Amino acid sequence: MTIVPGILTERAVDPERFATDGVAPRLASRPRDRGELCEIVRAAARDGLSIVPWGGHCGIELRSMPQYDLAIDLSALDRIVEYVPEDLTLTAECGVTIASLGATLAARGQELPLEASHATRATLGGVLATNASGARRMRFGSPRDRILGARFVLGDGTLARTGGKVVKNVAGYGIHRMLCGSRGGLAIVVDASLKLLPAPAARSALIYEFDAAAIADASRWADFACEEPAALTVVSSSIACGARDDANQRAALPGATGQRPYWVVLGLEDEPERIAELRTLAVKRLGEPVLELAGADVVALWQRLADLEDSGTPRLTFSGSRLTPAALASWVARPAGTGCVFHAACGRLHVFETTDHAPQIEQFLAPEGFVRIASLRARGDDAQPGSTATTALRQRIRAALDPAGIFALGEHWVRSSG
Amino acid sequence: MSLTVSDLEELRALLGDDGVLASKAALFTYDADALVLDRHLPDVVVLPRSSDEVAAVVRWAYARKIPVTPRGAGTGLAGGATPEFGGIVLSVNRMDRLLRVDPDRLLAWVQPGLVNLALSHQVAAHGLYYAPDPASQQVSTVGGNVSTNAGGPHCLKYGVTLNHVLGITAVLHDGTVLTLGGEALDAPDFDLAAAIIGSEGTLAIVTEICVRLLPKPEAVKTMLFDFVTVEAACRSVSAVIADGIVPAAMEIMDQHTVELVEAWLHIGLAVDAGAVLLIEVDGPSISLASQVERITALALAHGARSTRVAKDEAERAAIWRGRKSAFGAYGRTASGFYIMDGVVPRTRLAEALETIYRLARERGLEAGNVFHAGDGNLHPHVLFDANDPAAQARALDASHEILRMCIAFGGTISGEHGVGIEKRSMMSELFAAEDLATMAAFRRAFNPDELLNPGKILPGGGGCGEGSAAHAHLHAQGDGLRGGVPAQLGGMAAGSGDAEGPWI
Repeated sequence: MTIVPGILTERAVDPERFATDGVAPRLASRPRDRGELCEIVRAAARDGLSIVPWGGHCGIELRSMPQYDLAIDLSALDRIVEYVPEDLTLTAECGVTIASLGATLAARGQELPLEASHATRATLGGVLATNASGARRMRFGSPRDRILGARFVLGDGTLARTGGKVVKNVAGYGIHRMLCGSRGGLAIVVDASLKLLPAPAARSALIYEFDAAAIADASRWADFACEEPAALTVVSSSIACGARDDANQRAALPGATGQRPYWVVLGLEDEPERIAELRTLAVKRLGEPVLELAGADVVALWQRLADLEDSGTPRLTFSGSRLTPAALASWVARPAGTGCVFHAACGRLHVFETTDHAPQIEQFLAPEGFVRIASLRARGDDAQPGSTATTALRQRIRAALDPAGIFALGEHWVRSSG
Repeated sequence: MSLTVSDLEELRALLGDDGVLASKAALFTYDADALVLDRHLPDVVVLPRSSDEVAAVVRWAYARKIPVTPRGAGTGLAGGATPEFGGIVLSVNRMDRLLRVDPDRLLAWVQPGLVNLALSHQVAAHGLYYAPDPASQQVSTVGGNVSTNAGGPHCLKYGVTLNHVLGITAVLHDGTVLTLGGEALDAPDFDLAAAIIGSEGTLAIVTEICVRLLPKPEAVKTMLFDFVTVEAACRSVSAVIADGIVPAAMEIMDQHTVELVEAWLHIGLAVDAGAVLLIEVDGPSISLASQVERITALALAHGARSTRVAKDEAERAAIWRGRKSAFGAYGRTASGFYIMDGVVPRTRLAEALETIYRLARERGLEAGNVFHAGDGNLHPHVLFDANDPAAQARALDASHEILRMCIAFGGTISGEHGVGIEKRSMMSELFAAEDLATMAAFRRAFNPDELLNPGKILPGGGGCGEGSAAHAHLHAQGDGLRGGVPAQLGGMAAGSGDAEGPWI
């Protein structure tokens, strides 16, 4: 492979930094702005190089992924382009980290309620590409709910834009929405406009430890789905006690003693009067919590929960539509062993197992209404084939955005059913 | 193109005799949506009952390269359901069933022809409702709402259709049936449904929809404030949002509108006010008292002269009736009016209104404004004499300038009615050539022969002078129109008991 001197060599960085499973791409570049990014993609297209865009290296673990040639490090595209607090909207570049975005918003009493593991490294682009959201997803939505518009680079280096920056908009196609979760396999999101939320008047987290029977007891949880708590998350104690924080220090989740097999948090974000009302309901149904957190400690807890999904641990992710801890009734009746995190309020279950065990676990959870969803760290060869019609449609979409197929993860997008 | 007798027989074989309409009268009924003066006769109207029947029709049309234009209730103002190139109008009116409700999981599967408000009524027994509430909800269909990603007054807090659709079954251009998304919040598939929502029927025909349902709010408080100037009302809106409150709805009526509404309905609006601001909060009743208090304080601090909090449901209904009657009120005084659907960032509302008044005034016209202030979606009505072609032309010119202003302010040309035929020529002012080329390529991936709702959204789609075509889009009172309400909507307005303009 001959690389013509030019933008690729001018902006070259050490490709070893982008190695996965010990295999590094042949080249890596770090564009300084979106003009350079387009130039790099054009050069790669000209030279027939396949590309993987890189954010904070937290969402995607590219084991067994197809050989690719060029990593594009997007960390220099980290500007907040426009932030108008009174509009509750923000436009930011893809390389801005979730932590710095959060700090900017918190200073104005607002937030982007999308958690991702390793907030200090995770980037906005990565969060969008992996469709990441945390424990509060039911109440506050996922990237597709928050994205208003985006600018993105196509496979031929063209810069295009869809959507806008206002909260209501039906002018043109929502390609920006489809790019959420597309893993950088169709286009590279350069910047995005997002709908923000005011921070809640108050936050509270009620923490419990329960045995399996309590988790499985539907009557205990029945009231909560309609009360719309910010979060209701069940964590098996092996995970809760062995959690690591963002600095990878071993530190149990707050209140986790391991005396019972499940750690549970009920998150409340509302007016203080409403929190008091829900607390009363919680005490009636669940008893006194072992620990209560408030304010910034609650925000930190959401981040800790997101960090449980870090890329170091093999994990299978499932989505179900029964939004109560009792959806785990069969699962918790199994002999203990496999660690799990279940965001009951949004039906998302993480099971800490390798893909080798995926078929048995899928089979076990299917009758409970859980389907396995895109595991972002799934091996490239692990994807299950989608239906022929879906695959054909995806192929045409990919060809429309990336005609030469230079975004290496696009093939996965086309083939995968999850 | 015209269909032969045997073509019609083939369609009848697919759908039954009552599923195919080909009489002149029927075709005239389906020749436009609420953009009534831009009419194109279809060759046939089909009324399928299921996904399979839709697929059968689309396959049949695909084999013969006949365009298919899907249609919900036809309340759109942009010509999105108008069969510009003839062919088949596929009405979803008979696909109006609530297929399944799952109250425990807060979801339901519906057919696209189910009327928005009927869905809420049918799930009310479970204490649930469907949140997106376009003002047309008494007649507009969930499928039509999906095609324009519709929102309503309450989308400030609850979001638009996209945020309430979990999955869809869609028929592709060649009759392939796909299910995208599902019942869970996150689906294993990639999110093609999110791109189909809001695509105005140009990517696929949506035949089943899995919607999220919400528990009905325990309590609602509706407040009404009046201000000396519309700017002060707009600033109050920004202040409420900046204070961290997300009301369920914030709606503004300007003085012109207030005068007309009050003269008609006598509901106690302050006719000397520069603007009236309606704010509604909902949720657990325990949360509302403090919100009402904070909002009232903010409104007073920003110049509200008086405040009124609805004491009961009857007063709340009266306040909303005032808001929703604006359209009918315009119809009582002006023989023609042109309605826009532009959006500006909330913080630029005051400036935008000033510009709208100026643009109308400069052309010797009046403009009324009644709009969703909470989300910046403006619905300026430029009023004119429908019998004066020069005034019509000036109104059209003013409306184009108003949409240009929305673009210049960082907004957009359509918040909820779509681009359709009406605004496609303005897409090249909103987007760069590369953006439009990308959208065109994206559409071709779904709809390669452009047989599904051809000509819509992207500029150049009409194949004829769009500027002059747009001239005919004015919502003018004239033959076949009643009280300023376009003919197709007359029945609906009559059905709602008064001349409320139900679609904005």
